[in-house]
Amino acid sequence: MLSPARGLRLLGLLGLLLFAVAAFTPLANSLNIWMAGMAMLEPADAIVVLGRGGADTDGVLTNRSLRRTLDGIGLYGDGFAPVLVLSGSSDETSARARLAQGLGVPSGAILRTSSAKTTRGEAEEIRRLLIPLGRRRILLVADPIDMPRARAVMERAGFTVLPAPTAATGPSDPESRLGLLRDILSELAGWTYYRLTGAL
Amino acid sequence: MRSITLVLIVGLTSLAAYLAATRFAGRRRADLPGALKETLECLGLVVIFFLVNFAVGTALILGLRSLTGQFISVYIVNDATLAVLSLLQALVFYRWRARSK
Repeated sequence: MLSPARGLRLLGLLGLLLFAVAAFTPLANSLNIWMAGMAMLEPADAIVVLGRGGADTDGVLTNRSLRRTLDGIGLYGDGFAPVLVLSGSSDETSARARLAQGLGVPSGAILRTSSAKTTRGEAEEIRRLLIPLGRRRILLVADPIDMPRARAVMERAGFTVLPAPTAATGPSDPESRLGLLRDILSELAGWTYYRLTGAL
Repeated sequence: MRSITLVLIVGLTSLAAYLAATRFAGRRRADLPGALKETLECLGLVVIFFLVNFAVGTALILGLRSLTGQFISVYIVNDATLAVLSLLQALVFYRWRARSK
């Protein structure tokens, strides 16, 4: 029988090992690449940039939101689709649209959805926006770790999804790796919740 | 490179602290393994507090969502601050337990 003190020591050791592996090895990076899957950059009916992190209080996009937006704008510039869908909070979509227009995307090519609060809600909003226009084949721009759940939710909404994950290799410094692993665990919790509630 | 530098810095200061403690502060080398064991126990407590905080936080948010219909993001609990606060909780409770012995 394990004594409480011994159990605590074992748990502490496990925590310490997890910390060391997460911070000082490329484990988080490997998981990031694995979750991203293969990018499928092919012509589509629309480029969909999902929300992530919104905008800061000064209206500037967060790092992740900015990365996604720039990737979406890049895909539009390369001619992969005639429409760029920007999702997220209203602050986030406004900042994204300003950026996209500033980088040469015509306002007529930008569609926005800003009322959804969850990935499931975003999929529903985007479905209402694109399916009536006959746009089912989408290039989905999301972070690698968000891609499995986002892709599954969008496919469930009726889209043919071509994944276009951002920054698949991930960070190289210990603090960012720890943050990435925390995000991965959080995303896995989200995936489990979606499975339990029948959203996937 | 950054990882190695960080480990080197911590290794050097640990060695300096060890030498200072054994030579000038009267600490006994024989007590060090026991101190390491107690540190692991405290870390175990940190892990428990962190997991409980995470689970309770997530359950509270999901419960409030369904009760009030208001959207509250579960990403609130995905914050490094929770780990630091869990560490503080664990330290206090560990020291409390030690004093009660």
